[in-house]
Amino acid sequence: MPEIYLNDIAHGRSGDKGDTSNVCVYARKPEYYKIIEREVTPEALKAYFGDMVKGEITRYDVPSLGGFNFVMKHALGGGATMSLRLDSLGKSMGSAVMRMKIHVEDGEL
Amino acid sequence: MKKVAIGGGQGFWGDSPDAAIHMIRNADIQYMGCDYLAELTLSIMAKQQLKDPTKGFAPDFTTRILNEAGKEAWDKHIRICTNAGGMNITGCVDGIRQWAEGNNMSGYKIGYVTGDNIRDKIPQLLKDGWTFPNFDYDGNFNDILDKIYNCNVYIGHEGIEGCLAEGADVVITGRAADSALFLAPLKYEFGWAADDWVYLACGMMAGQLLECGGQGAGGNYMYDWRNVPRMDELGFPIAELTEDTFDITKAPDCGGVICEQSCKEQFLYEVHDPANYWTPDVNVDVSHATLTQIGENRVRVGGVKGKPRPDTLKLCVGYHKGWKTVSMLSFAWPDAYEKAQYCAEVIMKKMQRRGMKADDIHISYIGLNSLHLGVADMSEEALKNLNECVLRIAVFSEDKKECAKIIPEISPLQLNGPPGASFFGGRAHVQEVMALWPTTVPRDAVKVESHILEVK
Repeated sequence: MPEIYLNDIAHGRSGDKGDTSNVCVYARKPEYYKIIEREVTPEALKAYFGDMVKGEITRYDVPSLGGFNFVMKHALGGGATMSLRLDSLGKSMGSAVMRMKIHVEDGEL
Repeated sequence: MKKVAIGGGQGFWGDSPDAAIHMIRNADIQYMGCDYLAELTLSIMAKQQLKDPTKGFAPDFTTRILNEAGKEAWDKHIRICTNAGGMNITGCVDGIRQWAEGNNMSGYKIGYVTGDNIRDKIPQLLKDGWTFPNFDYDGNFNDILDKIYNCNVYIGHEGIEGCLAEGADVVITGRAADSALFLAPLKYEFGWAADDWVYLACGMMAGQLLECGGQGAGGNYMYDWRNVPRMDELGFPIAELTEDTFDITKAPDCGGVICEQSCKEQFLYEVHDPANYWTPDVNVDVSHATLTQIGENRVRVGGVKGKPRPDTLKLCVGYHKGWKTVSMLSFAWPDAYEKAQYCAEVIMKKMQRRGMKADDIHISYIGLNSLHLGVADMSEEALKNLNECVLRIAVFSEDKKECAKIIPEISPLQLNGPPGASFFGGRAHVQEVMALWPTTVPRDAVKVESHILEVK
């Protein structure tokens, strides 16, 4: 089973509200939607981020847009105001999600 | 069929005025919304106002947008709604009045909306038993009472619509919800009822797609950033609505792109549950929404639904939390990361000896893992032959003196640490850390009022 970066089949954007980061993830082609649905579960994302995201991760599926919205609590080291991180607003959380490696079946791409 | 076009002119305080000016000059719009307020902006403005009572708002709206194109907007009957008033609506309005008088704009109507600042009402609400529960963290509101900078409610469209109904050419608010700046003119123009939830939801989503300016038209665009036309002249998005249709487009002759992917990236930006996107005016449901390219730089929005608005309003309280300082030292090949890491160890040992009491310390390496942190590639291959690496140490303490202890310890490492350390940007300073207490208040505790000032 080949391993690819989520970035190869998806795009999206990260935003912040307090210490909560949201990353919307859209399939670059309609057929990639089911791969993301299968591979990027909240559990998988939580395991991937480890200590970087301290709170729960919720996934909201929006098939009509071919995408998902991930809401990650306590994900920004305290958030804009408090965070000691260089990227206190989590502008790069979107690309951090895209960096996740996922499995695709032969012939799926 | 009646068509109303509204443009997004600003995405935050400090945004470029270019797209707004271009839009006023070149686009067929009747309204523009300019958003200046991010979550923390009001706390920063409150602090500025404490030092200087004439400050506390975004003067850039007047100095950078109205000065350049405000007269033209007036001549063309383009009405502008903005939350540039921040913590000092009167100050902002006064600046606009002076600008209008200076341009002989007799009859220019400045509308402004008050009521979002409820700091004076906090004691009574506490007495009434309101506990101000924190959405994000446990904690007792009473513990921050003596450290508060500001208490502002995210208010909805009513006050803005009231000003428009009185003929305002420009409407100034404090903490109006970003998208209310866009919903209000649409609701006013189409005469939507206060419980036309689907229409109100469409108005809110127009705001959602416009309130971040360039981000809705090819800025911060992950899908295909290399091929965004003329990014140096990025246009901002425009929403065009009729009774039946809702399109996103942009001004003629400017850069940027409006396509399904650019709209998608902004569509759920900072939304949490797409089926329950709570705003002051309507609970928006975009869980079945669609975005369809119907022309060049034109996307049609469909399937937006709405549900009744909440009984409470979001309240953001900004308060003093402590102090932080950030220091940096750069290192070069060979072994740049190893040197930077060793240097961090040396500094931390020194600080331990100095007895620095930090409440939090964050060490990262710029060029390596300061952005992606735990998911950055730290493989041997990534570290080998690193050209350079910047050590970054951030310290937080509730005690300013403790926080400052590390500052003089950084530059000596140029001579006393691993080879090639370079100190840059001058000595670090201690910055105040403000925190937000996100909570709610009952809707009836907030009294929103519309006012009009006509320029003589």
